[in-house]
Amino acid sequence: MTESFIMILAESLTRRFGDRIAVDHLSLEIAEGEVFGFLGPNGAGKTTTVRMLAGLLAPTAGRAMVAGVDLCATPQRVRSIVGILTEHPGLYEKLSAWHNLKFHADLHDLPRPHEQIEKYLRLLGLWERRFDPVGAFSKGMKQKLAIARALLHEPKVLFLDEPTSGLDPESAKTVRDFIAQLASERRTIFLCTHNLYEAEQLCTRLGLIKQRLIRVGSPQQLKRDLYGRQIVIDLKEPLSLAGEALQLPFVRSAQANGRQLFVELDDPERHNPALIRRLLELGAQIQFVREHDRSLEEVYLELVAEEQKQ
Amino acid sequence: MNKRVRVLMLKEWREALKSSKTIWIGTVALPALFLGFSVYLMLTFGDLNDADIENVRHFVGALFNFPLLYFMMFPMVIPISVAVSAIIGEKEQKSLEPLLATPLTTYELFLGKALASIVPAVGVTWVAFGLFGLFMKLLLPPQVVTLALGEFGTAWLLTIFLFTPLTSLLMAAASMMIATRVSDVRAAYQLSSFVMLPILLPAIFFATQQALTNVSFIVLLSGAILLFDLVLLRFAVKLFRREEILTRWR
Repeated sequence: MTESFIMILAESLTRRFGDRIAVDHLSLEIAEGEVFGFLGPNGAGKTTTVRMLAGLLAPTAGRAMVAGVDLCATPQRVRSIVGILTEHPGLYEKLSAWHNLKFHADLHDLPRPHEQIEKYLRLLGLWERRFDPVGAFSKGMKQKLAIARALLHEPKVLFLDEPTSGLDPESAKTVRDFIAQLASERRTIFLCTHNLYEAEQLCTRLGLIKQRLIRVGSPQQLKRDLYGRQIVIDLKEPLSLAGEALQLPFVRSAQANGRQLFVELDDPERHNPALIRRLLELGAQIQFVREHDRSLEEVYLELVAEEQKQ
Repeated sequence: MNKRVRVLMLKEWREALKSSKTIWIGTVALPALFLGFSVYLMLTFGDLNDADIENVRHFVGALFNFPLLYFMMFPMVIPISVAVSAIIGEKEQKSLEPLLATPLTTYELFLGKALASIVPAVGVTWVAFGLFGLFMKLLLPPQVVTLALGEFGTAWLLTIFLFTPLTSLLMAAASMMIATRVSDVRAAYQLSSFVMLPILLPAIFFATQQALTNVSFIVLLSGAILLFDLVLLRFAVKLFRREEILTRWR
């Protein structure tokens, strides 16, 4: 990762509210075009981090650069180059979709506000309803409008706080697809979410926070760091082969469970052929071999529990 | 005027128009009622040719004391509704965070919202004053107009161009500050109305004494309001800090 491609750089970013530490020495680098998922329990400091990085709240200590702009020195400049979807859509319910966007376009002093408004209303399927008061919109439509508002000024960095929270599955999918499309345009997206499926689908890397940053990595990396790599072998008949498998030098652990054998390996791509050969020699009738894919939920709960113990 | 302040002000007016017709009915109806009453008084003035000058002076005093009281009231009453709804509306709709995420500074936020309530108050007062003057010219005998301008001209001008903007600012700032601390519109209206009392009560007293057109009284009252304005603005600056808005406004 070279310096010029780092869109978000946080160094020991800290925020206190009186005696309470909301965010504790957060250090982070996020590259251009990355979709960075920010996970953590309620009250872990996700929203405070977003507010600091988006120039809404000043950090108590530490520093950050967003798109090359010093957050502490010029927060107003940061606000003009980032887009933010807040936890609540926060739209003016009595005003139309058009006037909601026009207001924000004018605050950003866009050179061609009407073109931008039309572009995003059409992209998000709200063009036909542009003159309807927002109060008459469904939750999904409001969320889409709030996303349009965050994108009007074509920000390089986008902060999304719970973008699909409370949406029906269809609307949630539309929003997820749209986020994926934004990521393909090389925008840097900082996504706060409790939806672990969404995080796994969309994010290139994840960060887990509980006041301090607990772990950072790709979803696969986090799983491997915690559980190693495990393969599952489905047998036709139950056979107790765990002991024999453990004799192999590259097997870290093995466990039989009925017709299934769970084997942990450092490098399955390299060692699977030898393992299968050995099991066949031992008389195993193998039906399927697959990698045991831990859910992100398991990883998340494990990491949070670990943190709580400390 | 800064573009962002103007944009925010226009948004407040658009929202106020859509939110509650009563805001605008109140803004227009109060001065219209007053004007109607004043015109009625002017029409009953009658022919002065055979009246003596002392009677005229007495009648003119009565005719101009109470209108002046109304001109003092408009800038106090009108800003409350717009100022309160400008803050409580944002809180109810949870739209403050997206607003603070724009390049708008907190100073511009305060100024835009304050001006959104001050401008209609001052504007309506000035328009009502203009119409009042026009009706005076059209309906009253010339010697009465001359007498009125000679006796009360300075007091009127001070009221309109000094007292009105200062009072509007006071009421707008006070109402906005109250609205930041309460979540109920009615509670905000009631508390804001209390702020009017220390100004309104002496004004009513002097009006009943036919002494409201006293220049010293108006200058003194305006000076006191200016002092209050400065104190309130100091507090408002603290209340309108970004962090305060995000974490304390409920």
